[in-house]
Amino acid sequence: MDIDVLAHGIVAGSLYALVAVSFNILYRPTNVFNFAQGELVMLGAMIFASLTSLAGMPWLVAFAGTLVTVGCIGLVEERIAVAPILARSQTGTGWVITTLATSLIISNLVGRFWGPDPILVKPPALLSMDSLDIGSSRISSYEIALVLVTLVLVAIVERVYRTLKGKAVMAVAEDREAALLRGIDPGSLGRWSFFLGAAFAAMTGVLAAPILYASTSLGPDLLLKGFAAAAVGSIGNNRGALIAGYVIGVTEAVGAALLSPGYQEAVIFIVVLAMLLLKPEGLFGSPNARTV
Amino acid sequence: MSRAVIPFATQAAALGVALALPAVVGANSYALFVATQLGIYIIAAIGLNLLAGYAGQVSLGHAAFVAIGAYSVALLTVDHQWPFWAAAVVGMVLAAALGVLAALPAFRLNTWYFAFITLAFALVFEKMIVEWRWLTKGFAGVVGVPPPSAFGYEFGPRPLYYTVVAVTIIAFILVRNVVHSRFGRAFVAVRDVEPAALAVGASPQRTKLVAFVMSAALAGIAGAFFAVQKTVVTPDDFTADFSIFFLLTVVLGGLGTLWGPIIGALVFFLIPELLAGLQSWRMLIYGGMLLGLMLFAPHGLYGALRQVWRRFAGPSPRASAAAEASEAREHPPIAGLALAISGLRKQFGGVQALDGVDLSVPAGSCCAIVGPNGSGKTTLLNLASGYYVPDAGSVKIGDVEALGSGAQWIAARGVGRTFQTPRLVADLTALDNVMLGAYTRERAGLLSTALRLPFARAEARRLRQEALGFLQFVGVADRADVEAGEIPHGQQRLIEIARAMIGGARLILLDEPAAGLSMSELERLERLIMRICGLGATIVIVEHHLDLVANVASHVTVLDRGTVLAAGKPAAVFNDGRVMRAYMGERALKAGVPA
Repeated sequence: MDIDVLAHGIVAGSLYALVAVSFNILYRPTNVFNFAQGELVMLGAMIFASLTSLAGMPWLVAFAGTLVTVGCIGLVEERIAVAPILARSQTGTGWVITTLATSLIISNLVGRFWGPDPILVKPPALLSMDSLDIGSSRISSYEIALVLVTLVLVAIVERVYRTLKGKAVMAVAEDREAALLRGIDPGSLGRWSFFLGAAFAAMTGVLAAPILYASTSLGPDLLLKGFAAAAVGSIGNNRGALIAGYVIGVTEAVGAALLSPGYQEAVIFIVVLAMLLLKPEGLFGSPNARTV
Repeated sequence: MSRAVIPFATQAAALGVALALPAVVGANSYALFVATQLGIYIIAAIGLNLLAGYAGQVSLGHAAFVAIGAYSVALLTVDHQWPFWAAAVVGMVLAAALGVLAALPAFRLNTWYFAFITLAFALVFEKMIVEWRWLTKGFAGVVGVPPPSAFGYEFGPRPLYYTVVAVTIIAFILVRNVVHSRFGRAFVAVRDVEPAALAVGASPQRTKLVAFVMSAALAGIAGAFFAVQKTVVTPDDFTADFSIFFLLTVVLGGLGTLWGPIIGALVFFLIPELLAGLQSWRMLIYGGMLLGLMLFAPHGLYGALRQVWRRFAGPSPRASAAAEASEAREHPPIAGLALAISGLRKQFGGVQALDGVDLSVPAGSCCAIVGPNGSGKTTLLNLASGYYVPDAGSVKIGDVEALGSGAQWIAARGVGRTFQTPRLVADLTALDNVMLGAYTRERAGLLSTALRLPFARAEARRLRQEALGFLQFVGVADRADVEAGEIPHGQQRLIEIARAMIGGARLILLDEPAAGLSMSELERLERLIMRICGLGATIVIVEHHLDLVANVASHVTVLDRGTVLAAGKPAAVFNDGRVMRAYMGERALKAGVPA
C-alpha cells in the first residue's frame, strides 16, 4: 500500500474526528445527537470563506467571527428545536426530526444565499496547500498542521472535561435530576454545550475548507462520517473519536484506492455496521447500566 | 388510541370516492395517474408510520426501501421477463431483508443510531445504483417496465388503480390489526417506556425488528407498484429528498395515528399544486413544516382534529369497558417462586452499592427489604429482575440461576415487578396497560394477529376479560378506559401490580409501592398485598413505610450501605438496636423514639 494513501486517510480522518468531537461536546450534557451538525460545519466553512476570500478580513478575525456566529446559530437551534422537545419528554426522540428539519433549513438557506459553486479558501499564512515532497508522499504543510492541530484540540477538550465544569457536564449526562439536586443547571449546560458544539463544528469547517473547499455539499458527507467516527469510537469518548476517525479515514482512502472511488461510502458503511454489530457500544466504551 | 374521531360514515365516504373515481375520470387522465400514485405513497407511508409513529424508530432513508422494490420489479420484468407478481414479492422480501441486515446493529442501541444508519443506507444505496451500471443501467435507469397482467389480461390504468387501492386497504387493515394487538402495545411500550416493555417480557430488539420488517416490506410493495406505474425507474426517483418527503407526510398526518399517513398523503398531493410557483423553495418549506409540526402539533393534522373533536363531542360516548367489568371472579391460586440471592455485589463507579448480600425468600412468603436511602434496596431489585448486571454473586429464581439473563427473559420466567415511579405507558389506556402485561402469554403470532384469525380474536377477547378482572382485583376497574397518563399516581401503582399479575407472575417485586399514597390508598394496598400473598405468590417488597411492612411481611431484611444489617421476623428486627441506629440516628435512639 502507498504511504500516500495512508497519509491522506489520516488527514481526512482528523476532520472526521473533529466532527465526532463536536457531536460529543453537544451530546454529553443533552443526550441529543444533532442531525444539523454537518450543516453547521458547512456553515462555518462558508462564512469563513466569505469573510476571508470575499471580504478580505484577516485570518484570525474571520476565524473568531465565524465561531461566534455559528455558535449563536447552535444556541438558536437549541432554544427553538431542541429545548421545547426535551421539555415535553426527556426520553422521546422528537429531536431527531427537529434537528433534521434544522439541517434542511440551514442547508437550503445557505444554498440560496451562496449558490452551489465551491469557494476556494487559502490556508493561513506560513502554511500552504502545495505538496511537500517528503519521500514518495505528496502531503502539504497545511495538512500536516491540520493533523497536529487536531491532536492538540482533542487534548484540550479532554483537559476541559477534567475541570469542575467538565465534571458537571458528565454529571448531567449521567443523571439529570441528580445533577439538578446538586445545584447544576442542566438547562444552562445544554445551552452552553450547543453553543460550544456548534462553534467547534464551525472550527472544523474552517479547518476543512482549504482541503475540501467551502461548498454546500460539505454537510451531509461530514455528518455521516462524523457520526461513524463518534459511534465507532464510543459516543462521548473524544480519544475514541480520534482513533475511530483515523480508522474511517484510512479505510475510506484504502477502499477508494483498491476499488473505484464510488465505493468509498459503501466500504465505510459496511465497516461501521460490522463494528457496531461486534461492539455495539463502540471500541472504547462499556455497556451502560440501565437506570430504573 | 381512540377510534371514534373519523366517523364510520366518513370512512365509508372516503372509500366510496376512491372506488368511484375511475368511473368519473378518463382511463388515461392525469387525475387517475395521480390517484394511483397517491395510493402507492400511502402504502409506503402506512409502513413508515408503523415504524416511526408506533415503534418510535425514525427511518430517514425510506426512499431506499421503495427503490429496492421498484428496481427489483423493473429489472426482473424487463431483463428476465418475470411476471409482475413474483417480482413484487421478491422486491418486498429484498427490501425487508436488506433493511434488516443494515439496521441489525441499531436495534440494540439508542433510537437515533437507527435514524443515522437508515440515512447512511439510503445514501450508499443511491450511490450503488449509479455505480452498478451493469445491473441497474446507471443514470439512464430501467425503461419500459410492463404493466402487471393476470390470466393473459394486461392491466390498464384502471385495473392498476383498483389493484393499488385494494393493496392500500389491505395494508391499512393489517397494520390496524397489528397496532391493536399485543404487538402494537409492545411497539408503544418500547417507544415510550422501555423498562415497561422489559418488565412484561417484550424484547425491545425483537419488537423494533418486527416493526421494521413490516415497514420495509410495505415500502417494497409500494416500490413495486411505483415501477409499473411510472414504467421508468431511475436513480433520481429515490433521492434523500424523497425520504424526507415520506417522513413529512407521516408527521403532517399524525405520527402514531392510523389515519395519519392517509391524511398526510392526501394533503401533500394538494399542496404541490398550490406551491407550483415555489418549487425551488420546496425543501426549505419541508424543513420548516417538519420543525413547526413537531413543535406545535406532534400528532399532526389528525391530532389537531382529535382535539377539536374532543372539545365539541365531550367525553367519548363509546360504551365503556368499565361497564363490562363483570362480577369479581375468584382468582385461581398462584404457585409462588422462591428467590435465593447469595453473595451479590454491584459497584457503580467508586460506590459499592451492594457488598455481598444474601437473601432467601421461600416460595409463597412475603419478604420486605428496608433500609435508609442509598442502602442498595432498589439496586437489589434491579439486579434480581435483570435490569442491572451484577459484578458477582448468584440469583436463583425457583431453582434456575438467573444471573446475567436479560430482564425480559427473567420477566418471562414469572417474575413481575413494579417501579419506584410507576412505568405505565401514558398513551395507552389502563386496560391496554394491563393487557400489555400478558405479552409473553399470548400465543397468536404476527401473521394470525394481522389477519385476525378466529383463534387470535378469541384469545384477544379472553385476555380483555381477564385484564378487566385484574383491574377489578386491584380495585381500579372504573379507570379501564382512561389513558394511563391521566390516572392519579396511587392508582397507577395498582395498575402496575395488575400488569405484573396478568403476566403470570409467581414472584412479584414491589419497589416502594406505598410511596406517595394517601391513608385510604395505603389501606387498600395493604389488603391487596395480603390477598396476592394469600393466593400463593411470593412477594418481595422494598418499602420505607414500616407499619405496612410490619403488617404484611413475614420476614424483614435490613440493608445498610450495601450489606445486610439484620434479618428476621419484623418485630424482632425493628427492635434491634443497630437497625434503629441506622434508621433514626444515635440521637433519636437515646431520646427513646418507639419503633
